[in-house]
Amino acid sequence: MTPSLPMRSGLAQVRRVPLVLFTVLYTVVTGGPLLWVAMMSLRTTSEIFRNPYGFPSPAHWEKYVEAWTKSNYATYFWNSTVVVVIAVALVTAIGAMAAHCLARYSFRGNRLVRFAILTGLVLPPQLVILALFQILLDINLYNTLTGLILVYVATHIAMTVYILEGFFAQIPQDLFDAARMDGYSDFEIFWRVTIPIGAPAIFTTVTLNFIVLWNEFLFAVVLLTDDDKRTLPLGIMHFTGSHQLDVGMAATGLMIAMLPVIAIYAFFSETMIKGMTAGAVR
Amino acid sequence: MRILDRLPRRAAREPDSAATDARRAKLGILVAFLAPALLIYAGFTIYPVVRTFYNAFHTIKPQGVVDFVGLDNFKALLFTDSTFWKAVANTAWFTIVATIVDVIGGLLLALCLFARAPLAPLLRVVWFTPVLMSYVVVGIIWVWMYDYDWGLANATLRWLGLGAFEQSWLGHPSTALWSVLVAHEWKWLGFNMIVFLAALHALPGEVLGAAELDNCGWFGKLVYIIVPMLRTTIVNLLVLSFIGKMMVFDLVWVMTGGGPLWSSETVSTYVYKRAFEWNTFDLGYPSAIAVLWFVIILLFVALMTRLLRQRDKLEF
Amino acid sequence: MAIVTVDGLCKQYPGATAPAVHDVTFTVADREFMVLLGPSGCGKSTVLRMIAGLEPVTSGTVSIEGKVVNHVPAKARDIAMVFQSYALYPHMTVYGNLAFGLSRRDIERSEVARRVHAAAGKLELTELLQRKPHALSGGQRQRVAVGRAIVRDPKVFLFDEPLSNLDAALRVSTRNELIKQQREIGTTSIYVTHDQVEAMTMGDRICIMNQGKVVQIGRPLEVYRNPADTFVARFLGNPPMNLLHGRIEQRDGRMVAQLAGGSLALPMRTASALSRYIGADVIVGVRPEDLYEIVPPGDPAQFARLPARVEAVEPLGAETLVMVSLEGSDAELVARVGRDTALRRGDRLDLALDTAAIHLFDPATTIAIA
Repeated sequence: MTPSLPMRSGLAQVRRVPLVLFTVLYTVVTGGPLLWVAMMSLRTTSEIFRNPYGFPSPAHWEKYVEAWTKSNYATYFWNSTVVVVIAVALVTAIGAMAAHCLARYSFRGNRLVRFAILTGLVLPPQLVILALFQILLDINLYNTLTGLILVYVATHIAMTVYILEGFFAQIPQDLFDAARMDGYSDFEIFWRVTIPIGAPAIFTTVTLNFIVLWNEFLFAVVLLTDDDKRTLPLGIMHFTGSHQLDVGMAATGLMIAMLPVIAIYAFFSETMIKGMTAGAVR
Repeated sequence: MRILDRLPRRAAREPDSAATDARRAKLGILVAFLAPALLIYAGFTIYPVVRTFYNAFHTIKPQGVVDFVGLDNFKALLFTDSTFWKAVANTAWFTIVATIVDVIGGLLLALCLFARAPLAPLLRVVWFTPVLMSYVVVGIIWVWMYDYDWGLANATLRWLGLGAFEQSWLGHPSTALWSVLVAHEWKWLGFNMIVFLAALHALPGEVLGAAELDNCGWFGKLVYIIVPMLRTTIVNLLVLSFIGKMMVFDLVWVMTGGGPLWSSETVSTYVYKRAFEWNTFDLGYPSAIAVLWFVIILLFVALMTRLLRQRDKLEF
Repeated sequence: MAIVTVDGLCKQYPGATAPAVHDVTFTVADREFMVLLGPSGCGKSTVLRMIAGLEPVTSGTVSIEGKVVNHVPAKARDIAMVFQSYALYPHMTVYGNLAFGLSRRDIERSEVARRVHAAAGKLELTELLQRKPHALSGGQRQRVAVGRAIVRDPKVFLFDEPLSNLDAALRVSTRNELIKQQREIGTTSIYVTHDQVEAMTMGDRICIMNQGKVVQIGRPLEVYRNPADTFVARFLGNPPMNLLHGRIEQRDGRMVAQLAGGSLALPMRTASALSRYIGADVIVGVRPEDLYEIVPPGDPAQFARLPARVEAVEPLGAETLVMVSLEGSDAELVARVGRDTALRRGDRLDLALDTAAIHLFDPATTIAIA
């Protein structure tokens, strides 16, 4: 077989000028608002109102420190970190176990369990949120981070199992047969075969869950009320709400919220892109 | 098989029926693997769904007092609740337009990158950035963009000499919903773009070469070859988009809260308001809305998949 | 008039150290079936794609019917191509696949239908016209790919290893059909393959390529009998030509190649070419079919005798291959002997070598001397 040749893109004859124009236009539309907010974050509100679109001069870096210390930002950040890290760890662990079990073992309830979990993919949040509100109240986990973590884990199991099961099922059965013949127990097989080989998929779901939960708003806004329990998205709303007229400060607050994600994205863009679209690209 | 080489050899255990077939496991093992996931899922997803269905047929008063009302909630919903119908109309229009923009826009962007636009690898990363942002961040940025006096939207219009089109975008009932839609698409187009790009790269290059020899310019290839061969991806994204837009909440809540005058009220925001911001506390009514809407979404998804799916597989 | 002319064609991929195609020149005459033959990666497919217009040319020209077409888009070159993977449109029926190229060229529906049915008839595809590619076997898909090209009635057919995805039996029958069709229709064709059997049986002329360059062009038997260098010598012929090291000496007025295990008197015709090599090393080539267990009838002086020892015997049924090592050296040769041979491993024999069929190559350049 001839080695694959670098194929010219099938659409290379698209006329260059309209293509470049469109590309530039869309890049401006995508990046423009972000650039604007970034600039505003370094200017004081009075500067902004004098000239809304100007370049920051001087650049007020101290506003970042001010925003962090003078509001509850640190608390919001910490809450989000705790909730998301624990939730992602939990959902990955139990999701991987469930996915491994569904992918590897044939048992009577296999299809039923799989179906039950997959319906979770299409459940609208509104269908569960009202009842969750009642339930958490009943068991005294309303307005707690623990309650939120449990809800996050439950609502993301479906997607995690969906992605991982698809991947785990493709691992050749031979590896498991060989491990079985060598006398390894079921759990050891899971730990020493599925996890290492399935690591890329696991990493993908971790990325996906992390981003989605970090930005999650609806469940948090319903299930948390105390200011010191707020997660970051709620905190931002509150922050910008209370700084409504202080646009400069609000912009700085937004930038602080965006920066961790953008920073990780700059280094791991490929991973993040793959992770976010994992459920849709088959 | 290096992983297995690294594992220390163990004495083979005495065979029993479950151990000889590597695909069967003892009940205890199955339970151990599945129980954590199933328990949490059952407790915090399945049970709430069941309870919501239950709620829909009751009136839930404060202090947990529950009265069975049968189909009253649904009847009130369908026949006397004009706000509900306004929300339905808004959500329906939003979904239809946004889904179409999602799919066509995503395909367009992917084609740009596929046709080797300059700096394509970098653009792919940049154009995807909004997808990673929280709705809160996106919402607030666009609220500022739409500000009448100093927002970039009106500023751009003025700069282009189209100052006559200046609006209070989020403040005017006729433009509020569409303004939110623009912001929503700004966030999501990158996602569809990536999915389409992956699908485009999976197309067999020789088929495109054959089309080239068959007198297809880029437009001919697009219409006769690429789009038909991308049919599965298109349908998948249509369904995914549809479900997402029918449930839209976060962005609307952050940008307009459903206003002005219910012009951007969606079914989800209405559910939230009825549950947590109404004069009378009753979780039964909003539960009924949620249930009804869920059923409608399911019906449409089933319909769309039935009508649009590929009849025979396209192997390539 | 030559239909296709390729002149000084070069292809350099950015970032690659060596050009993929370097200074390739050949012409294909009207109605000729030219085969581009070479190992994987030698650049033959790249040349084909440049002729088709699917690959931009780095330097050099491609001309069709005298006109340079470097900048003419592929669809305007009046060329049809059969791809290695067939490249059928998976979402169209067989009829759709055959008709697509025509319908895109503003040909009337009735004419399109006529041509499609004619081609389908020729290729026995008539019952399959409403099926989609995934419901066809490999051989059927291949016929549709050929049909797509026939229907277009182009000036040139291009084939990119169309048989390599078929199993062996199907390959032979399809090969014969392609030959038959090409004779009937008579369109100029350029055929790329790495299989020398296909090249020998199908081509009017073969163009052998190696590492991006043209090594030899000629009619199949010419190239087989007079290989231009050791690469061609070993590429054509199965089992490949045996190559031995030897030294040229002059004895009694005749040129002699002195091998480690014996000496060969060289034919008179080589005398002048070898005058420069007296005392120098050369590579001696002899094909397995020119080595004999028993001296065949004819002038006995023509056959040199080399003492050898049998290392292995491979009975193939119709003939037997015998691997021998020459006495006094570690050189190993493969000989084709008759099916009734009684040779066994370990036997000693005096191998007969037909000195009239010897090939000589320069050891430094590997080019044939005589």
